Amino acid sequence: MKVIELLGVYVFPVIIVAIPVYGWVKGVKVYEAFIRGAEEGLRVVFVTLPYLVAIFVALSCFRSSGAMSLLSRCLEAILAPLGFPPDVVPLLVTRPISGSGALAITAEIMKARGPDSPVGILASILQGSTDTTFYVVTLYLGSVGIKRGRHALVACLAGDLAGFCTGYLVWRVMFR
Amino acid sequence: MNSLWMGLLVGSAVVAFFTGNVGTMVDSVLGGATGAVALMIELAGIYCLWMGMEKIADESGLVDTLARFVGPMLRPVFPSLKDRPRPLSAVAASIISNVLGLSSGTPLGLKAMKEMKNLMPPGAEEAIDPMITLIVINAAGFCIFPSSVVAIRAALGSANPAIIAGPTAIAGLAATAAGLTVDIALRRGRQK
Repeated sequence: MKVIELLGVYVFPVIIVAIPVYGWVKGVKVYEAFIRGAEEGLRVVFVTLPYLVAIFVALSCFRSSGAMSLLSRCLEAILAPLGFPPDVVPLLVTRPISGSGALAITAEIMKARGPDSPVGILASILQGSTDTTFYVVTLYLGSVGIKRGRHALVACLAGDLAGFCTGYLVWRVMFR
Repeated sequence: MNSLWMGLLVGSAVVAFFTGNVGTMVDSVLGGATGAVALMIELAGIYCLWMGMEKIADESGLVDTLARFVGPMLRPVFPSLKDRPRPLSAVAASIISNVLGLSSGTPLGLKAMKEMKNLMPPGAEEAIDPMITLIVINAAGFCIFPSSVVAIRAALGSANPAIIAGPTAIAGLAATAAGLTVDIALRRGRQK
């Protein structure tokens, strides 16, 4: 595990240095190329902004209106008899729609119950088991101006569901 | 996207009316709009950095090299990119970044989307198969080391912050596999 951790620390600086050095050796005007690429990055930010504002507004309505906690309570009624800790249910609902919101919930659970408690470990696993689906779908499609994503969202949500179920099962086997 | 957006807005408004949360909802609309802009401003620097690096890698031939090495592995999942080295290598770079947990995953993913958009007829508004496949893989977000969660666990005094890495990776793989299964089953160009 240490090796993977170290990899995470060193890959970044190595790439940042290796790419320009390689380009330099190959005779690329590296500074000019970087600037042109960075301009493109800025354009992406600009193009995607309207899409993100639209989805963020809709999702924050969903959260603040109480619709999300309603959904969360419904899920709790189904999952609690199956032995799923009720504290973690809000995380299931939040994870696909808000990355920062889900991270806050995970941190809160761990603060209240301890990071090494079974509930804290389950929250950690589920937090990492998938990315913020609605954000990824909106951003990727928005960046190229595509309005119809066909089955993208359905497939992503199926992935989220499978990730949660698998994370929960692994947790049951290993930590309970 | 249209019905999802309307559904979220109207559904939320109805619930807010019955639960008396109309006031907080009004505040949150503004908060959501501001939050989206704040997030993109925060990310703008990272996007510029990685798109700049990508451009250097592209002009020095590194991107083509990557496509030659990783391309064959991705071809079964991205059959329609078989003879398209540019989008294929952008897709590969994005997926590799995400698996390694680098911040370059998203900007390179968007670069890949742009490359794939070039394969579409002009004016088309519907996502093509490989775009959806990339979105599915990156939304599942399989990563060999969940550094942000481990960091929080360590900060909160966990005796073994990295103990969740293995189970998280298994769950992430399952999410990727399930997402891909649904994607492949619903693909239009499957028989091609």
